[in-house]
Amino acid sequence: MLDVNIYKSEDQSAWCPGCYNFAILKAVRQALASLDIAPHQVMFSSGIGQAPKLPHYLKCNLFNGLHGRTLPVATGIKLANHGLQVIAEGGDGDGYAEGGNHFVHAMRRNPGITYLVHDNQIYGLTKGQTSPTSEKGLVTGTTPFGNYNAPEHPLALAIAAECSFAARGFAGDSDHLAELIAQAIKHPGFALVDILQPCVTFNKLNTFQWYKDRVYQLEPEYDPADRQKAFARALEWGERIPLGIIYKKDRLPLENLLPQLKPGPLIKQSIGMEKRKELAGQFR
Amino acid sequence: MSKQIKLWQGNEACAEGAMYAGCDFFGGYPITPSTEVAEILASLLPKAGGKFIQMEDEIAGIGTILGAAAAGAKSMTSTSGPGFSLMMELLGYGCMAEIPCVIVNVQRAGPSTGLPTKGAQADVMQTRWGTHGDHPTIALCPSSIEESFKLTVKAFNLAEKFRMPVILLLDEFIGHMREKMEVPRPGELEIYNHPRPKVDPKEYQHYADGSSVGGPYAAMGSGYRFNITGLTHDKHGFPTARLDEIQWKMDRLRDKIDRHLAELTEVEEEFLDDAEIVIFSYGAAARSSQQAVRQSRAKGIKAGLLRPTTIWPFPDRIVTDVLKKCRTMLVAEISQGQLVYEVERCNKSSTPVVPVLRYDGEMITPAQILKAVEEAQK
Ligand SMILES: Cc1ncc(C[n+]2csc(CCOP(=O)(O)OP(=O)(O)O)c2C)c(N)n1
Ligand SMILES: [Mg+2]
Repeated sequence: MLDVNIYKSEDQSAWCPGCYNFAILKAVRQALASLDIAPHQVMFSSGIGQAPKLPHYLKCNLFNGLHGRTLPVATGIKLANHGLQVIAEGGDGDGYAEGGNHFVHAMRRNPGITYLVHDNQIYGLTKGQTSPTSEKGLVTGTTPFGNYNAPEHPLALAIAAECSFAARGFAGDSDHLAELIAQAIKHPGFALVDILQPCVTFNKLNTFQWYKDRVYQLEPEYDPADRQKAFARALEWGERIPLGIIYKKDRLPLENLLPQLKPGPLIKQSIGMEKRKELAGQFR
Repeated sequence: MSKQIKLWQGNEACAEGAMYAGCDFFGGYPITPSTEVAEILASLLPKAGGKFIQMEDEIAGIGTILGAAAAGAKSMTSTSGPGFSLMMELLGYGCMAEIPCVIVNVQRAGPSTGLPTKGAQADVMQTRWGTHGDHPTIALCPSSIEESFKLTVKAFNLAEKFRMPVILLLDEFIGHMREKMEVPRPGELEIYNHPRPKVDPKEYQHYADGSSVGGPYAAMGSGYRFNITGLTHDKHGFPTARLDEIQWKMDRLRDKIDRHLAELTEVEEEFLDDAEIVIFSYGAAARSSQQAVRQSRAKGIKAGLLRPTTIWPFPDRIVTDVLKKCRTMLVAEISQGQLVYEVERCNKSSTPVVPVLRYDGEMITPAQILKAVEEAQK
């Protein structure tokens, strides 16, 4: 167990006072410390939004990319240097709307990436518009007459897309969240943690109390390997919302499937001019 | 009816202008500094029987308005730099398939994520050349809140008439500036709706000769059968590999602009008659340029302003003529200098062309431009 203070950065936070991103930040630090992952061993790939600012407030390597494009970048990092712990981070808009296409295909490929989605069911950074997980009827800047659309169930989508680890955490219980994030980091393939996050400024429906009244921990005897049951839990949303590892499947991560990565990370190998010369003109 | 005076933002005036023009479909994705256009239309359009839809990204935003427009709805999207970049592929599709729509780009400082809440005028060349292949471009640049309203209406008119996406190139400065304006009364501004075909559906050609500008064309699903594709196509819209048909299509797209330059070109002039030093400027930068010209005149310097409100097609002929008559032309832009190269291209008289630039996210000031005028005067 490392000291959590080694991840402290000097950056001034730009989040609202009372934002639950602070609780997620605490959980991430706690998870990294509990796994003895030093700041130089972890690489974050984050998008654009309030959520992706998290790694700014953490001592780590950071590729702060573009809105919605966290996962292609994270995949590139992992394939170039699979010795790194790669954590992708973003919001529900970033990951499920703008990056929805990448989301589905990254899970299918199963690179060893931990994906943390701060799901506040709203666009925070752009000051309150509807997101793919916004409740029906939610009044926002772009849905002044209420949201007409059915919210997406990201965990059910993940299970359908062959995600090998799909979990849900709650920013209102940061100790449990830290444990969940640690499990996700330890998982060898793609691990999604959808984190329920009250937005104190722009989402007046899904408040801390709203979540608190609904969330429950999966029972100890729950078997996350049962895909059909996992679907049912992933779709459970309303009176009760389950927290924990909803689905888990043993699947070799992408980087372990590639024979050329067997000797070690790509960047530690050199193909060399000799080999290139030998190959020249061999394609028919 | 009494006068309606409003204290509007540029983005607000743009959304209101779209309502005035008869826009009935908006699809897009939130992004600073354009979000107000979307949020206002999200509220106004449904009340008028129109449709607003927030899509999952900007590619979907332009995609949905192209679909709506092809089906006959007056359609629009709004965005800023990162979203505009994402729209490039389908923008080209709109040009190729000749689909009328309006794309508003409220420019922010780039490149990339840049300065989301600060302004720039650095997307002007992307507006012209951002999508691949030879293609026509029409882009309008408002310098005031009132112009934001009026040029939005004009953008819809031109889109209808020229059957193509028309870009309203706003910037954060004008988009977020508040200014008094008198709202045009219904009927005061022209609203152009393209004619619908009257021929027997069997005779109908979606891309008939004479239909590229001001001619009739049908909405999909209105009883006329045709094809829409991004592939190079014949008069019915079906893909072709025939060299004569390819040539015909490419010339048709080019001629939309080249044969209508007089109609499309629009510039405002101030004190040009006897001007020795002319400032070429557009959009937000033109506001400071205008002030600098007035201050120069007060100091006895013969300065003038050339301000295009239609930036694409570029007013080549006018710029060439003004360059011949003046001693020096200053090009005031909020970028590292983009239109200065267009001005140079039009320079047939070796008149000195001097860029006056600012690109730190802040508004170019009259003082900076005045100083450049005084230097040029020496
Ligand atoms: C291509 C592109 N489109 C739009 C934006 C503007 N934008 C930045 S973040 C964001 C959504 C923020 O919501 P979410 O991803 O849920 O993150 P949150 O702020 O709620 O944490 C949007 C629309 C952008 N930066 N780039
Ligand atoms: Mg969000």
